[in-house]
Amino acid sequence: MATTVREISLNENMTLNFGPQHPAAHGVLRLILEMDGEVITRADPHIGLLHRGSEKLIENKTYVQALPYFDRFDYVSMMCHEHVFCLATEKLLAIEVPKRAQYIRVMFSELTRLMNHLLWLGCHAFDVGAMSVLLYAFRDRETLMDFYEEVSGARMHANYFRPGGVAKDLPEGLTDKIAKFCDEFEKHLQEYDNLLSNNRIWKQRTVDIGVVTGDQALAWGFTGAMLRGSGIAWDLRKSQPYECYDELDFDVPVGKNGDCYDRYLVRMEEMGQSIKLIRQCLAKMPAGPVKAQNFKVSPPARDEMKSSMEALIHHFKYFTEGFHVPAGEVYVAIEAPKGETGVYLVSQGGPKPYRCKLRAPGFAHLQGLDFMSRGHMLADVTTIIGTQDIVFGEIDR
Amino acid sequence: MGIINPNTLTADNRAEIQALGQDGIQQELNNNGFLLTSADSLINWARCGSLWPMTFGLACCAVEMMHAGASRYDLDRFGVVFRPSPRQSDVMIIAGTLTNKMAPALRKLYDQMPEPRFVISMGSCSNGGGYYHYSYSVVRGSDRIVPVDIYVPGCPPTAEALVYGILQLQKKIKGQRTFAR
Amino acid sequence: MHLEKHLDLEALKAIQAHIDAKQASHLVSSSIDCRELNLVCRKQFIVPLLTFLRDDKQCQFKQLIDISGADYPERKDRFDVVYHLLSLSNNQRIRVRVQVGEGVKIPTAVDVFPCANWYEREVYDMFGVAFEGHPDLRRILSDYDFDGFPLRKDFPLEGKVEMFYDEAEKRCVYRPVNLAQEFRHFDQVSEWDGVGHNAHLAEEDKPFSMNDFTAEVKK
Repeated sequence: MATTVREISLNENMTLNFGPQHPAAHGVLRLILEMDGEVITRADPHIGLLHRGSEKLIENKTYVQALPYFDRFDYVSMMCHEHVFCLATEKLLAIEVPKRAQYIRVMFSELTRLMNHLLWLGCHAFDVGAMSVLLYAFRDRETLMDFYEEVSGARMHANYFRPGGVAKDLPEGLTDKIAKFCDEFEKHLQEYDNLLSNNRIWKQRTVDIGVVTGDQALAWGFTGAMLRGSGIAWDLRKSQPYECYDELDFDVPVGKNGDCYDRYLVRMEEMGQSIKLIRQCLAKMPAGPVKAQNFKVSPPARDEMKSSMEALIHHFKYFTEGFHVPAGEVYVAIEAPKGETGVYLVSQGGPKPYRCKLRAPGFAHLQGLDFMSRGHMLADVTTIIGTQDIVFGEIDR
Repeated sequence: MGIINPNTLTADNRAEIQALGQDGIQQELNNNGFLLTSADSLINWARCGSLWPMTFGLACCAVEMMHAGASRYDLDRFGVVFRPSPRQSDVMIIAGTLTNKMAPALRKLYDQMPEPRFVISMGSCSNGGGYYHYSYSVVRGSDRIVPVDIYVPGCPPTAEALVYGILQLQKKIKGQRTFAR
Repeated sequence: MHLEKHLDLEALKAIQAHIDAKQASHLVSSSIDCRELNLVCRKQFIVPLLTFLRDDKQCQFKQLIDISGADYPERKDRFDVVYHLLSLSNNQRIRVRVQVGEGVKIPTAVDVFPCANWYEREVYDMFGVAFEGHPDLRRILSDYDFDGFPLRKDFPLEGKVEMFYDEAEKRCVYRPVNLAQEFRHFDQVSEWDGVGHNAHLAEEDKPFSMNDFTAEVKK
């Protein structure tokens, strides 16, 4: 077989496959980079390497059976995704959630925000080069996982929020542990700040990298810290409050320059604000039921189920057939740690969702990787992927 | 015999420990200057004492794998350091759901690992399709693509369970024979 | 309700009236259901409508949040392509829907909102709805040579092929799906119900259904 010799001109770009297995790819990302030497001229992310068909599976399950899929979408901020699905189902059912359940949900949403930001901080710093931050951040994450385990039984995929409230009440002593954690965490937050915020190397690697102007952020569908880092003050907890966020007092940090350093500062400050919110929830939490006292949506209590015939039938029907949700379609969005996460839920009156689409913030952010990384060098690509807070469970679904 | 506290050893305890042979190795070395073992045991000891996995986190199990390697359940004390390159690793921990699109890449990485190589399948998605078994785009178990040595169940398995799985792999390696037939 | 405490239904109705007045020729209908504003647009006018919604002084829907698809196979125009928009300045959301049949193309919204690029690719991948003028319409989530459109209602849940490693060929190959245990669909129709589904039984003898459990908990 004759070999062909092809002349490569000096103007030709090099194509680099930032392959599906890469320690800094945050999961499975196949990034095709066209580069002119060290500078990037075009970035083409290939996603879908974690496409598990969750949306089609959800169409074949009842609402309560479909709930654990939402844990697994964004697997670093689990309860927030359960939250958005529960809110969408409750909107279609038009039921009210008891006050205690709302406070528990907000408290765990903020704990989840801390979990997410800690993993983001650890992994982003690890990719940029600061390895010790990862170990420190995971120390705190372990404590938060302990809280998840106490309340639901599982360290990660809690399946705790249900349509109508939460599955079970808080166990004894958990509020004290959370209060103690808040005090310790503030010191730890100061440690992370000391390690990175005024660090020359960190600043050189993140200032003026991945700059996004406000208009670009709006046009490309960025939400969350990506939007706030560019100077647009928009937080769904303030502008479209849900649960009891309107009764709680907190600030929303907004950046100026739209570079990676600003987004880092925004997320660090968000962690501090989450602690403030958790403390308020602990102080203001009322007593009461934790699930809507509505037979349609809540299973009966276990002792009742074991003694009363009707409760037994109700229990059986609830877990096999599921509750029927009135026909309609809704879109509900919350301020998840990564941005605006929304669920477009269509029901045709049966016990199973007809169509359930998750609007993932990472999908829009990764789309913007192309314009964000042009003109930067190869090492900056990992910084930009880190600052966008990418998790493939929600992008590929 | 019960639990022996190393801080409060008595003469009886020392005698017991000697009987177990742990001081025996030190004694042998002191007496003879060398010790005898079988080549198999030596090789297996070296192999399981420093298992280097490849970072191959696919989905949620990857987070638990990170937790296993982080502060609380430190894997470094077992000699396990994560290597980014397949050519420098002994074991591949498939953590997460394996999809049809990713499977060729997985096989390629497995082929690039040098022998002796081992595979730990972590989580129910990797064991047999798991929560996504009936989906159109998921490989129903990563043992359809690569041969698996240890299956760690869970969704996700706790970090402790993964550490247990790695210890089981070490046990399996200790039982292997390279020279003796 | 514990949701959408910001919602100003009057302002939403005002926006609906304004859009109805200005874009009457482009719309099929507009309605407010479940406290959300829904517009149904004619397929060929989707780009002018989206441009109007983005630029008009009263609307200012500056962000395209999502484009999703839905499949209603019993309808003639079986596919629904749904655009969700957000106005930050007015703090309102809106849903625009386009109904198309099979093989029909929709003009792309990429020139109006750059982020529509991947969303349209996803709708194409999952439902097979093509977008005219899209710069790079190829599959995004499913496998490179995937055959079929997964989220259509007639596509089977298990798919048609599954992947194995073939020792002989030394590569990954697709084989037809062969499940050890089929997915069990529970449809609550009992074999004991008979042909008339208990029409002949008295009310108190009919089996229970979940709709019976709607009463409040007895204290």
